Amino acid sequence: MNPSPPAERPGAVIEATALTKVYPGGVTALAGLTVAFAPGVTGLIGANGAGKSTLIKILLGLLEPTQGMAKVLGYDCVKDGMSIRQFVGYMPEHDCLPTDISATEFVTHMARMSGLPKTAARERAAEALRHVGLHEERYRQIGTYSTGMKQRVKLAQALAGDPRLLLLDEPTNGLDPAGRNAMLELVERIGAEFGIPIVVASHLLGEIERICDRLVAIEAGHLLRADTMDSFTRASQTLLIEVEEGTAALAQELARRGVRAQPYQRALLVPIVGERTYDVVRDSVAALGLPLSRLEQRRHQVEEIFRDDAQPGQYTQMEAADAY
Amino acid sequence: MPTETSRAAAGVIHDLGYRRYDGPRFGRSRIVAALAWHSFRSAFGLGRGAKAKIVPVIAFVALLLPAVVNAFAMSQGNARQVDYDTYVPALRDLIMLVFVAVQAPELVSRDLRSRVLPLYFSRPIKPVDYPLAKYLGFTGACLVMLEVPLLALYGGAIANVHGGSAVWAETKALIPGLLIGLLWAVTLAAVSLFLASMTGRRGFATGTVAIGFLLTYTLAEILLQVESPALGHSAGPPGSGAAPAVAVPLAEKVAGLFSPFTLLQGVRLWLGGTNPGDNVPKPGAFGAVYALVLIALVALSLYGLAARYRKARLS
Repeated sequence: MNPSPPAERPGAVIEATALTKVYPGGVTALAGLTVAFAPGVTGLIGANGAGKSTLIKILLGLLEPTQGMAKVLGYDCVKDGMSIRQFVGYMPEHDCLPTDISATEFVTHMARMSGLPKTAARERAAEALRHVGLHEERYRQIGTYSTGMKQRVKLAQALAGDPRLLLLDEPTNGLDPAGRNAMLELVERIGAEFGIPIVVASHLLGEIERICDRLVAIEAGHLLRADTMDSFTRASQTLLIEVEEGTAALAQELARRGVRAQPYQRALLVPIVGERTYDVVRDSVAALGLPLSRLEQRRHQVEEIFRDDAQPGQYTQMEAADAY
Repeated sequence: MPTETSRAAAGVIHDLGYRRYDGPRFGRSRIVAALAWHSFRSAFGLGRGAKAKIVPVIAFVALLLPAVVNAFAMSQGNARQVDYDTYVPALRDLIMLVFVAVQAPELVSRDLRSRVLPLYFSRPIKPVDYPLAKYLGFTGACLVMLEVPLLALYGGAIANVHGGSAVWAETKALIPGLLIGLLWAVTLAAVSLFLASMTGRRGFATGTVAIGFLLTYTLAEILLQVESPALGHSAGPPGSGAAPAVAVPLAEKVAGLFSPFTLLQGVRLWLGGTNPGDNVPKPGAFGAVYALVLIALVALSLYGLAARYRKARLS
């Protein structure tokens, strides 16, 4: 059997339609999720228990949805699970490496398990390990590795089979800040330079937003929001105004002039609609004669956008999850 | 969405060191074969450090010794000292017990311990393929342990006999031995892998396998011993020589069902084996029950092993 790899598709790499999964016992993990993942790096954001793992299992063809359907690289998840797994690289969240063999041997073995012939598996394992930045140490036993190196081995085994899609589940799990940065840069590079579409599942929005082209946020099995990073950032230009006194009066004055200001710590935040916003702010401050101490154009953290999404409380669970 | 197109263009391969793989990709059967071969090798500690090779090598050499000694004895003019169908039962039972108790956990418990299974399940195979490949690999390893000494015994024997009829006699004696070896391998691999797959702690797994085999064997032996004198048997091995089958009571036959070792002996005797081997009585027609129980034991073990991996868990 030598299936040809799926053609490069300009459209979505993953399409889920009304995907529902109810586990025996009545727990609903996915509730009619309809979402498409385009090529590029997509962040899959959700708290623990939001349905990320269930979605990944369904996408890999390991779990049948109760209702709805999903397609990965054009393959049906229920019928063509094998084809999907041939062309999808998966990096699990938790520790999944044996300790008593070398990274080279392990990644070679896993490449063979992806269906590569012996010689090709060995070559691609060496390349994958080089791409993730493991050089001489790849001949050492994995048990002697640091957490960061182990994460790289996990990524390398997903990469070795030349996947047409990578599913990375919490790739920065357990890493220190420097390690997180290095891992994120690596993921970004694989997405941009290698041209492999990537889905990065994470509960840490602030962390992965900078490497993503798109975000898909799910909560309690529902789609919260799916959009490009660009449209998030475009919508999120705000002006921070800090006055030494009279913050409340300024907010009233701004409201009178038709600009909705939000208190933020000791300052006010107003959305930038256009050049007019700056004029209104200047005029309001001048009219009240307030001592202006800071005027700063800033970009919302994406999570603030979710929070502002007129559905308060929806994102608080994720924030709680962020705490650990 | 303006970025849609710009990102899609990233699908073009940039010459930055990453090479696409357009060579052949094997399907399920070849992957299972590769995993079975990998498992076969790890049963002998191949591809691992020197430490992993100690037990299998010692066990193999120990099993080979009788064949070597026999070849030497025959070269001195003696008749063949070792039988093909039982080999040296006391030695073989013990060595095989140690081999499966130490090596079956090497195949399954390691993977459970390191939680590597999700990586297998994300490959283009089905969940049942993993235990299947492990079973094929380990059965192969047990076959090597059991059959290679027999072939060595055969080689040593035919080197020391003269004439075509003598060689043919040796060959005729060898074939049942090989078949019994196959039966052994199939059974030992199934039961030991199932027992070892219960736990990811290798020490516990070895203990589980060893106790599983030893406990049942001891139980069967005790029952056999208890039954023998109570019914006026001699203390010698029952069923030996041309002892009439009527002398074996049913209770004693049932006692032999309790352990894989005695089961195998019973099946061997039922299939026409003449060497007494262990204390197992000649089962006569009851041997069919031995065969059925043996088949059921293997089937249940394999079912249990498959059930262990039925749910493709990702964590």
